[in-house]
Amino acid sequence: VSRTRASTALAVLLAVTGLTACTEAEPTAKPEVSVAPSPSAGPATAAQDCDPPDRDPRASLRPEHGTQITAGSHMQKIKDRGRLIIGTNQGTVLFSSRDPFTGRIEGFDIDMAREVAKAIFGDPDRLEIRIVPNALRMDRVEDGTVDMVVSTMTTNCARWKRVDFSTVYYEAGQRVLVGKDSTVQRIEDLGDRPVCSVAGSTSLDNLAKVNPKPKMVVRSDYGACLVAFQLGQAEAVSTDDTILAGMAAQDPYAKVVGPRFTEEPYAIAIDKSHPEFTQFVNAVLERMRADGTWARIHDRWLGGTAPKPPAARYR
Amino acid sequence: VTAVQAPPRAVLTRLAGLRHTSPGRLQLLLAVLLVLTALTGVVAGLTAGSAAAGTTDLRDRAQPLLAEAETVWSSLADADATAAQAFITGGLEPPALTSRYDEKLAAAATALTSAARRVPEDSEGAGAIRAISTGLGEYTALVATARALNRQGKPVGASYLSTASQLNRETLQPQAQALFLQAQREAADGYTDSRSSWWLMLLLVLLVVLGVALIATQAHLSRTTHRTFNLPLLTATGLTVLLALVCAGVFGHQRARLTSADRDGSAPAEALAEARNLALRERADEALTLAARAGHGKLEDDFALLRKRFVVSGPEFDDVAALMTRAAQQHDAYLAVHDEIRALDDNGDYEGAVRLAVSKETAATFDGLTAVLGEAITDRRAAFDDEIRSAGRGLGALTVLGPLLALAIAVSAATGLRPRLEEYR
Repeated sequence: VSRTRASTALAVLLAVTGLTACTEAEPTAKPEVSVAPSPSAGPATAAQDCDPPDRDPRASLRPEHGTQITAGSHMQKIKDRGRLIIGTNQGTVLFSSRDPFTGRIEGFDIDMAREVAKAIFGDPDRLEIRIVPNALRMDRVEDGTVDMVVSTMTTNCARWKRVDFSTVYYEAGQRVLVGKDSTVQRIEDLGDRPVCSVAGSTSLDNLAKVNPKPKMVVRSDYGACLVAFQLGQAEAVSTDDTILAGMAAQDPYAKVVGPRFTEEPYAIAIDKSHPEFTQFVNAVLERMRADGTWARIHDRWLGGTAPKPPAARYR
Repeated sequence: VTAVQAPPRAVLTRLAGLRHTSPGRLQLLLAVLLVLTALTGVVAGLTAGSAAAGTTDLRDRAQPLLAEAETVWSSLADADATAAQAFITGGLEPPALTSRYDEKLAAAATALTSAARRVPEDSEGAGAIRAISTGLGEYTALVATARALNRQGKPVGASYLSTASQLNRETLQPQAQALFLQAQREAADGYTDSRSSWWLMLLLVLLVVLGVALIATQAHLSRTTHRTFNLPLLTATGLTVLLALVCAGVFGHQRARLTSADRDGSAPAEALAEARNLALRERADEALTLAARAGHGKLEDDFALLRKRFVVSGPEFDDVAALMTRAAQQHDAYLAVHDEIRALDDNGDYEGAVRLAVSKETAATFDGLTAVLGEAITDRRAAFDDEIRSAGRGLGALTVLGPLLALAIAVSAATGLRPRLEEYR
């Protein structure tokens, strides 16, 4: 019930703010949200981090064997173990959050991981979920605690230095959530005022580059940011529009404003020691884009009309 | 300078002059005896008063404060564990856990109110109590919000709960621990004050000097007169011995009772309370590790430290040895279940781990442990109460009796010396 309500709320929100509209925003009754976000306001990644400088962080490893489980591969290891271990978080509503009724972690990210489990085991339930704070996502991939991290994680060159990423499975962008009666129009209006974001996220890095600089309120996950916002410890929350939509769905006194001022392409993080697994995951994503699974999952969690899935790019 | 020093010097010279005449010497002896007796009487009363006040303070303030500080700390840890268990259970909070949580918060609040009356306004303890009171209100509000959101099916409820838990563990519990340590110091000081060792030493010295002075006076009289015995002076000596005996009896009894109150009451009760606190924190670590759903983490490392510190054998537990055997067994049983929970979680069966952690059987095993420890604590606190009540016995009477006996000694001494002095008129 809650999910339906949440996705309805999201669909309304997306319609109002024109999040899904690639061209023009719908005319709306509310003047304060009538400013349609420009789909791409700035570069998502710091190009100077890329090596070579023209390296595209969206480009991943091209699948060679489809969704075949080759002997001695990491997929074989996962299969022998009997479950796929993923790292995610439990505070990002619609992407990965805990259903209060069942206690299960659910969302768009989790369904992505379930498809990978299904490709390995033929059973999407062979999934072990570990909660990983954003700041430790790459550590957990590197130390092998988890097979992969699916946690609204932006792919960029700086992170590519430590982990491999799959192809992009969702395109988000950073915006601002404020109170219903706030006059704030964009992130620049929040100079020296308390804005919450999460430690170890690109959102926090992006906030540091905003001029004038907002006062940072740093929390360990986005649920904690919504708490800080509701308790008045933060005047706004700034992170990816998708995550903000999940917050707004839970708080009728919140609204999402301003243009997307960054691009946040989400991808799955995997350890560099087994590129064959990254290729495998890319093959699974490829299939999901083609056979409508991606659109179905999008519809299930984010509602509205599913846009075209982000096209895969390879090196 | 000389002008100021002159009069005392003149007095001293006059007093020194008294030494050279027989009546002068008698006058000096009488004066010395009267001063010594007066001092002894005053000091006996003050020593008894100080010991009585110390004992009462220990019984009515320091020891209850320690118990209350422990209740605050344990209740906070218990409430945190309970809230985390309710959370991992999923769905609506089980009513049993809700009422346990409410009970623990009420216990913490009650103990806090009561503790506030036992600490001075501007002390370190009062500061900790104020901070905990403020934080407790905030904590309760956060958990209430979490419950309301959970009821509406809003996932952010979970974030309210973890914010509350963070406040509990990182702010409230350290403050409760500080209060507990403060109470421990005050209880230790309470024992020192009750023993009033400096007063007692002064009293002992005075009694010895007074006795020696009385005997010396009688020796002098029997040398200078033809009477071997002076009955009133003998009476004074007897009364001095009586006063010494009464003091020895009352203070000896008090110190012996204090020692056993400490050994058989305070020390084991404190050790038991710490053991119970360790166990509750273990249970909280377990539930919070599952709530964090991040596998083996910092809190599990903390659990490993706590389980090593849980010791219920040793001389301080001798009086509750049978209960402690049971406690050790219960704790081992709980640890076995905990290891099973961890094994399930570490091997990917999170749901199985949660089911086992919140199962009735696990709860019964753990509650069995805290119940045994609780029983032992009640038993040892009763032992403390008995000993400390007994320690206070006679001190009040001595506060009055001491000066009265001293007065009798003074009257007797004066009665003994006055006829001899009059012989020189």
